Amino acid sequence: MIRLEQLCKRYQLGDEPVQALDHVDLSITAGEYLSVMGPSGSGKSTLLNMLGLLDTPDSGHYWLNDEEMTTLGEEARAAERNRRIGFVFQAYHLIDRLSARENIELPLVLTGTAPTERRQKVDELLQRLNLDRHANHRPNQLSGGQRQRVAIARAVIRKPALLLADEPTGNLDSHSGQEVIELLEELNTEGITLIMVTHDANMGRRARRRLWMQDGKLLKDEQDARP
Amino acid sequence: MRSNDYLHLTLTSLRSSRMRSGLTILGIAIGICAVVLLTTLGEGLRVYVMDNFSQFGSRLIAINPGKSQTGCTGGLLASTRPLLVEDAWSLQRLPYVEYVVPVVQGSGAIEYGRRVRYTDIIGSGSDMAPAWRFEVAQGRSLPDGREGYPQPWAVLGHKVKQELFGDKNALGQFIRVGGERYRVVGVMAAKGQMLGFDLDDIVYIPVERALSLFNRTGVMEIDVTYRPGTTAEAMAERIRQRLIARHGVEDFSLITQDEMLKSLDRILAILTLAIGGLGGISLVVGAIGIITIMVTTVHERRAEIGLLRAIGATQRQVMWLFLGEAILLALIGGLVGILISGLALGLLALAIPALPIQLSPFYLLLALLLSALVGLVSGVLPARRAASLNPVLALQSE
Amino acid sequence: MRGPDLLRFNLRLLIGQWFRTLMTLLAAAVGVAAVLLLTGMGEGARRFVLEEFNLLGNDVLIVLPGRKETTGGVPPLTGEGTRDLTIEDAEALLHLPGVRRVAPLIVGLTEVEAGGRNRELVVVGSSAELFHMRQMKTAQGQILPPLPLDRAEPVCVIGHEVRRSLFDQQPVLGRWLRTADRRCRVIGVLEDRGVSLGTDLSEAVIIPVASAQQLFNTQGLFRLFVQVQHLELIDSVKPAILELIQTRHQGERDITLITQDSLLGVFDDVLQLLTLAVGAIAAISLVVAGILIMNITLISVSQRTPEIGLLKALGASERQVHRLFLSEALMMALLGALLGVLIGYALLWSGHWLWPQFPVSVPIWALTGAVLLAIGVALVFAWLPARKAARLPPVLALKGG
Repeated sequence: MIRLEQLCKRYQLGDEPVQALDHVDLSITAGEYLSVMGPSGSGKSTLLNMLGLLDTPDSGHYWLNDEEMTTLGEEARAAERNRRIGFVFQAYHLIDRLSARENIELPLVLTGTAPTERRQKVDELLQRLNLDRHANHRPNQLSGGQRQRVAIARAVIRKPALLLADEPTGNLDSHSGQEVIELLEELNTEGITLIMVTHDANMGRRARRRLWMQDGKLLKDEQDARP
Repeated sequence: MRSNDYLHLTLTSLRSSRMRSGLTILGIAIGICAVVLLTTLGEGLRVYVMDNFSQFGSRLIAINPGKSQTGCTGGLLASTRPLLVEDAWSLQRLPYVEYVVPVVQGSGAIEYGRRVRYTDIIGSGSDMAPAWRFEVAQGRSLPDGREGYPQPWAVLGHKVKQELFGDKNALGQFIRVGGERYRVVGVMAAKGQMLGFDLDDIVYIPVERALSLFNRTGVMEIDVTYRPGTTAEAMAERIRQRLIARHGVEDFSLITQDEMLKSLDRILAILTLAIGGLGGISLVVGAIGIITIMVTTVHERRAEIGLLRAIGATQRQVMWLFLGEAILLALIGGLVGILISGLALGLLALAIPALPIQLSPFYLLLALLLSALVGLVSGVLPARRAASLNPVLALQSE
Repeated sequence: MRGPDLLRFNLRLLIGQWFRTLMTLLAAAVGVAAVLLLTGMGEGARRFVLEEFNLLGNDVLIVLPGRKETTGGVPPLTGEGTRDLTIEDAEALLHLPGVRRVAPLIVGLTEVEAGGRNRELVVVGSSAELFHMRQMKTAQGQILPPLPLDRAEPVCVIGHEVRRSLFDQQPVLGRWLRTADRRCRVIGVLEDRGVSLGTDLSEAVIIPVASAQQLFNTQGLFRLFVQVQHLELIDSVKPAILELIQTRHQGERDITLITQDSLLGVFDDVLQLLTLAVGAIAAISLVVAGILIMNITLISVSQRTPEIGLLKALGASERQVHRLFLSEALMMALLGALLGVLIGYALLWSGHWLWPQFPVSVPIWALTGAVLLAIGVALVFAWLPARKAARLPPVLALKGG
């Protein structure tokens, strides 16, 4: 489903240039469960941003479902982000003034979906994630774990093909963190490709395929044998 | 994105920082209020003045001696080529002519018995009253000079009658005008003031007699009113030709009521716009307020902008979200401003009933459009800035 | 906290938040500049009008034939009275104690022809005294000769515009003008005095009053100017003139006396009121600037809540915190006012440079008023937000709010 070919990205950090991605090659099939690990500054977040079409590479190619993503204009990329990609962030990035329901339905609102249709879809997800009691609560009325679950709901409301998680349990205690990981893995078993960036080795080992990065290069690519 | 949702998102943003939005709205409101109040008062003044001037009726052409248009003071200054009363009567026979009014104006002592009053004296003819829309309250109007040298009859203005005769009947009484003996044959209805000039403090005598009273050969002005069915230009041309035939040269000037009203109207309209513009200064400061607040808001909500981009909002959508906030702030400000001015005008109208207030829905609509424009202009740069933020960097700033 | 330290503290802050500071400065500057610009123009207009009308001098009384009962209204402008003001009246007035000069005035319009060219011009009939009274000088030739008022002489003094439009650059002294059916010889040309309001004689032909009487076939004078010997004598001369004319006019007091002062007084009042009104309207924008200051200060307070907590933990009192935020707003207002003053004056001076005839002067009351208003507005609108900051409990503040 995904093919990265010689992806390069360089940043200017003050006086020094930083090679965030250094000729990265990667192939991912649909439904895979990957973790990306490495020290800070290794480029794992940059890789995620590339995959999520949030950033464009300096050189190289990115094919998603056999479509060349690197040549897309911004509008087209936005459309892809809306439809085919879901993001989950460490800091949740929920909009404080909107309720849980309103946060979850944002991707649908952006593309002009009718309110009745939205309501139906959001209700389904709220039920499934045990959030229906909190539908009209603001983020500041929710616990960390609840907030992340709302964020996840928002990420999958469009039933995207790809789910990208950047340190999703970073701000959570171990119990909530466990809940969130299990939720993500459950979604993966339903067919969504899950790519998770984490610095926690225990977390990373749960994935069936594990990538290690350092200095912008892909060092190790470990895969569990299929059961 | 659906407009309902768009509106909902914009409103929640404004509502979430109530104080901030409220103050910004207040700034615009004051600006709009100033603009509305000033233009309304200006418009009121314009209507007042125009009404005052139109009271003499339209379809009127004024002829003054002297060619150069040194204002309409042609009659004030002496002239070597006077306009004669006979000139006036000669115009009577032109097609479409309705009334012909030769005018001489001066002032002098009016005596009745032992009472003396110094007033304006206007010498004119029998056509004056209908032409100028003056009502004769009692008796008759001035005699017609076309049927021979007129009798020494006078018509009193309302105030003169009151001052000299009180409640007694003035008709048939004898008064002295500038030392000459006149008989009162009529009293005018009260007309009031026109721009400081008391229209009731006048005595009217026949123009021929006024000429000899003031020792003049020529009249100061000839007013001609004409019937509908012809244009002002055509009528003016006819008069011009007739007078040139009589004088040999064009040593007089014509001005149609239309022209005069039009130029007056134009001047007043410009004046109204100018003072409206003064109110606009406050609006400019209000706009600066919107820009400042929007930029601050965009900066604060950087992470949110990054998030929106991440879930698929296009740059244009982001721009319109923030632009919408700016426009909405300004529009609400405009509405509040209009409400406040409405209240203020209402209070003013109660306090000073004489004040000419003309609330025109046109200007109100214009004010609303203006506020929307202000929102648009002030919001466009911050909104574009928001749209062009790098989503990756924006997300990192929480 | 010591003054200079406070200043430095605030300055660093303002520079850090440079955009916000800049915008707030701009808002205050616009307000102050607007007030200065508008009052400057209004005051300039007032001065201009007064200067122009002052040409006649405070020591001159204007006598108009005709009189109206309703005083305070429009004076009888048409100058037609039942009894004429005569040259003899003028000569009689000259004998009154306290009277220095008397000049008659007849004004009319007529065709003036010279050198094949033809214009309709204002013709003024007067005497040499008029020139002295109004300090009119000739650029060429001489003023009207001192003649007995009833003597008509075919001489004239022309304004410089008349010279230009009838004669171009040709020599003009000694040339003859035709006025209607009469002629006069040019004996002088008035000097160019620039733009003059309404009393512009540059487009006039001045002839002896008796000649004007013949030309326009009229006896009565349009106006009479009476100049007193000293300014203080005006009050005593006024009634004397009224009495004398009354006696001469068979007991009729059918004239109106105007002093320059009364004329100007009306203008002065009206223009001052206008300037004030215009300045007040511009000042509204300062109120709007104040609202922005309040908004910005509130934002500043909420953003700096941890800093406030820290300050308090380090021992700052409520009053000190209050003063801190207040002084920040004050500084912005002052800087903005300063900027506004600079912009305002710059605009006024460039306007003056483009149109030198138009005097521009900012009345002191407007300058101090605007600056004080800016400061006052900052104080008023920042007071509550500053108090909010001052009242923040340190614990809450340190948590980040």
